[in-house]
Amino acid sequence: MTAEMIELEEEEYTSQLTLPIIKRIAGLLKPHWLWVLGFFVTIALTSWLDAYFTYINKQFVDQGITLKDPARLMELATLYGGLILIQAGFVFAFIYLAGVLGERIQYDLRKLLFNHLQKLSLSFYSQNAVGRLMARVTSDTGRVSDLVTWGIVDVTWAIMNIATSAVFMAIINWKLALIVLAAIPIMVVMAVEFRKRILTEFRRSRRANSKITGAFNENIQGVRVVKALRREDQNTREFQRLTTEMYNASYRAAWLSALFLPSVQIIAAIVLGIIIGYSGVQIRSGLITLGGINAFVSYLTFMMWPIQDLARVYAEMQHSIASAERIFKLVDTQPEVRNRPDAVPAATLLGEIEFEHVDFYYDDRTPVLKDFSLKVQAGQTIALVGPTGGGKTTIVNLLCRFYEPTRGVIRINGRDYIEYTLESIHSKIGVVLQTPHLFSGTIKDNIRYGRLEATDEEVVEAAKLAGAHDFIVTLEKGYDQEVGEGGNLLSVGQKQLISLARAVLAKPELFIMDEATSSVDTLTEALIQKGMETLMSGRTSFIIAHRLSTVRRADRILFIEDGRIVEQGTHAELLRARGRYHRLYTQQFRREMELQAGFVEG
Amino acid sequence: MNTTSTDNFTHLTITDFRPALQKNRLLGLWKMMDGYHLPYLLATLSLAVSAFARTGTFLLLRFFADRILDPSRTISLGWIALGFVGLAATDGGFAFLSGRLAAYTAEGITRRLRDFLFDHIQRLSVAYHAHTPTGDLIERVTSDVDALRRFFSEQAIGIGRILLLFLINFMAILRLNAKLGWCSIVVIPVVLAVSLWFFKKVTQAYEAYQAQEAILSTTLQENLSGVRVVKAFGRQAYEIAKFEKDNWNKFLKGKNLLFMHSLFWPLSDIVLGFQMLFGFVLAANMVIQGEISVGSYLAYTGLIVWLIWPIRNLGRIIVQTSTGMVSYGRLMEIVKQEREDLYSGSVQPQGDLRGDLVFEGVCFMYEDSDQETLKHISFRVRAGQAVALLGSTGCGKTTLVNLLPRFYDYTSGHIYLDGKELKEYPRAYLRQQIGIVEQEPFLFSRSIRDNITYGVGRQISQEEVEQAAKAAALHDVILSFPDGYNTLVGEKGVTLSGGQKQRLAIARALLKNPRLLILDDSTSAVDVETEAEIRQALGQLMHGRTTFIIAHRIQSVMMADLILVLDKGEIIQMGTHEELLQQPEGMYRRIYDLQTRLDKELELELVTVR
Repeated sequence: MTAEMIELEEEEYTSQLTLPIIKRIAGLLKPHWLWVLGFFVTIALTSWLDAYFTYINKQFVDQGITLKDPARLMELATLYGGLILIQAGFVFAFIYLAGVLGERIQYDLRKLLFNHLQKLSLSFYSQNAVGRLMARVTSDTGRVSDLVTWGIVDVTWAIMNIATSAVFMAIINWKLALIVLAAIPIMVVMAVEFRKRILTEFRRSRRANSKITGAFNENIQGVRVVKALRREDQNTREFQRLTTEMYNASYRAAWLSALFLPSVQIIAAIVLGIIIGYSGVQIRSGLITLGGINAFVSYLTFMMWPIQDLARVYAEMQHSIASAERIFKLVDTQPEVRNRPDAVPAATLLGEIEFEHVDFYYDDRTPVLKDFSLKVQAGQTIALVGPTGGGKTTIVNLLCRFYEPTRGVIRINGRDYIEYTLESIHSKIGVVLQTPHLFSGTIKDNIRYGRLEATDEEVVEAAKLAGAHDFIVTLEKGYDQEVGEGGNLLSVGQKQLISLARAVLAKPELFIMDEATSSVDTLTEALIQKGMETLMSGRTSFIIAHRLSTVRRADRILFIEDGRIVEQGTHAELLRARGRYHRLYTQQFRREMELQAGFVEG
Repeated sequence: MNTTSTDNFTHLTITDFRPALQKNRLLGLWKMMDGYHLPYLLATLSLAVSAFARTGTFLLLRFFADRILDPSRTISLGWIALGFVGLAATDGGFAFLSGRLAAYTAEGITRRLRDFLFDHIQRLSVAYHAHTPTGDLIERVTSDVDALRRFFSEQAIGIGRILLLFLINFMAILRLNAKLGWCSIVVIPVVLAVSLWFFKKVTQAYEAYQAQEAILSTTLQENLSGVRVVKAFGRQAYEIAKFEKDNWNKFLKGKNLLFMHSLFWPLSDIVLGFQMLFGFVLAANMVIQGEISVGSYLAYTGLIVWLIWPIRNLGRIIVQTSTGMVSYGRLMEIVKQEREDLYSGSVQPQGDLRGDLVFEGVCFMYEDSDQETLKHISFRVRAGQAVALLGSTGCGKTTLVNLLPRFYDYTSGHIYLDGKELKEYPRAYLRQQIGIVEQEPFLFSRSIRDNITYGVGRQISQEEVEQAAKAAALHDVILSFPDGYNTLVGEKGVTLSGGQKQRLAIARALLKNPRLLILDDSTSAVDVETEAEIRQALGQLMHGRTTFIIAHRIQSVMMADLILVLDKGEIIQMGTHEELLQQPEGMYRRIYDLQTRLDKELELELVTVR
């Protein structure tokens, strides 16, 4: 599922504000309480000044103009000018404080999540798609940090503004102020209802939009099939259904938005009409001044903005809370594989490795390994063969302690390996996987990932051993060539060689290869052969492989099927047995030889 | 500018956007709006009415104030109150109308544009698709289309709105008092210039911020998908440091962006605030001097707000408009591409092909290449025969079969299909008559059933689908999926293996029942039993059709009526299996010998371990 789809799906969730959540969210702000206080105060003062400017305008009319008093006028103007400057200071402060704090909170949350994700076990990753975790770190953090900064800013500004306006209106004429205040709840409810509907339509349109992108993507990638099967007209017709869906949703969202402000405005106008009708006579009798009426007009006109803000924050808030809950849930997840309190570092992994009646379940029902036992001497090379899904990779995952056995014990040097620290095990293992994973950066960076302090010479040496050197030097920038995102500027075979070099550089005591060279061409494979031999001597190695040349040399070959060892022995022993391994071998042999003849397109 | 293209079922209505290809981008954008010009003009007109009504409110306020301050005259408060409500209703009503019409226009154009692009892109040549990255096309049809949508819905109308507000309110103030009017707009050129400059800068800073966000999310994604590597090498601390660096960088870029905002808004507040204050003081003194009435003063204070504050945003809208212009250009690059002509051709056959093919000195060169990929290819196939193409990667096998459905047209020579030049057949007809089974065909994320019936072009019963699936040795596999034939393929459903995908394509080809078949025969990824099943299915499919087999293994070649051995675009050997075996120096013989030698070697190995 694409990240966008996940995001859309998760945006559907809403949550209510509860005390524990408020406490935890407040906890995020705690280290930055001075900043919070800063923008809180400045935004409050800003909104107070906003309302006060209107009041000064009233005094312009009532005290300056009506009384024809130029001196008083200048006084007021000076005050007004001074306040403009002060106001600007406040505006600067709250934009800067709230904005930077928002970025900071997002930074904090991302750091928190990322660091925690590094601790979680592989089982967690197999249950949570990468896209979902991405959404947690990218969009959820954004929504929460927006809520605790701009959300608070908008609400504070809106409430302060309405409150101070109300106070000033009451000072001018409390009866008229009551009329206005009566209208506010109506406007707020209306605004919220509008917002909710707009948000719904907006989400619908985004969902349609993501489908449209999907349709484009598929049609472009499959364009040859489309052409060959003359599916163009039908595809366009189906696509038009999607664009119609999109049109309906976004058109509705757009005109609802267009309707929103005018509706609130008209309510304000009705209130204004009432005020004028009611108070007009009072002017002549001097109960209210003209400036006062004018101020009411202004207050009413500008009342829309805080109401709009309140509605927006309210409509978004429930989704932001849901985001916060998802973040907290992830942070609260405990890693399944972790150091025991009394764990000791493993001195060496070179020693006897023993699986003793190991059971393993990924979920609760089906066992992947059942009563699996195996004893391996230091320095031996073990090859695992057998059908996909038989449990080969699981054995390797357990060995690396990416998972721990559900039942049974794995011993290294006679000691249950959960008594060792994870770091001490991992630092002595070299793993090469079938789907090689590289990181953005240069080739050199990627090889050096195996041992960060390695010199350039050591990097080159490892590359030579892994058979990667030859192709690397043909690249334009050699070892400094960028590999692209996820290494996708290189072929799969090249990536496998780099990841092999990376493991070589790590100088592991235990070497694990999971179909590590499946996409390397035959010629290169032969090249690597020698390097691999050097590599495996003096190390314990576990190899899952398709290639016969690799398997043949193993000290022991295990044929794994349905979580059990079906056959085991040396290459010669197993061929003689004429069993499963024999059949696999002959079939595979033929295919490989054909490949070597350069006949098959890899 | 509506054009329709027809097919067997119903009419397809697509608006042609090619007339919008213009040197002058504004003219091009105007042409894009074809059919929406009236609603758009009405939207602008409504905007004007709404702005007039708002201005009217302040003029009414003026009337009200001046009347009420004059005790000698009577005043009908009810009417004035009603006037305020009426003006507000007019203002709001027309603002809504304008918004709705603008949305109608923008969303309508966008929908038509999307439909057109979708249709257009799939009709561009295979050559175009071969050298255009999917990501780039997707980027254009999504973000650039969206940028144009915003151009029509927000920016074009937004600029109109601000200019109208300015003009109408300015004229109203001029009518109150000319001197006051001119004094009220002194700072506007400055504010406009500064806001233009600022938004340009901010756009750049924002792009840098977004770029950093993209870097951060790449780091994150690589870390999450490479979790096994990270753990295996115990590189958590290293990863944390890497993420920290990117994360902190993004924080700094965000801080920079916010600093710019936090300077611009208050500074422009100050400038505009003092402009207003200046106007207030001036106007107030004029009232005291008796030059204008109190009512005029009140109207002025209301009008000036709508005169000067929107100017601050004009810079933003203008800067955004340039994005719309760029997007227009990027989309036009797609629009201007030539489409494949599906229907025309001097040969308009009725009924099915026989499948007789003659290649006569056929050469082909890719447009971006300077070397011929196919050189003087000549051979002949009779209807119902099978031709096998053999050779290593890049020898031209795929290129040769690509000529048949006219994915590419040969550069010289002749191909006669049933005696008539292939180039003279309409592409649509050829593709209807040709079936293609690729090695790992592209599947669409819809149900298995829909994938099997995809493009077959007629109503197909469930029995027929199952029959085809059975013949392709796929039925049992499908039944093992959770929803059987309704199981979705792809991200949200099941992932099919290479062999299963191929068998699905075979089932589809069986349903389509073409006269000419192109087969990419590779069965390397399946076990022995399945391989036998596929072979059987293929045999059934090939029966009675002219078949081109792109072969990888001797086994699939032996049965062919004609074998072509290709090397670097040339036919180096041609004949039947038996004939080719007679040529001891030929490549075919060498490959065949190797094959038999393999069996011996295997036998030897088995013997030695004994």
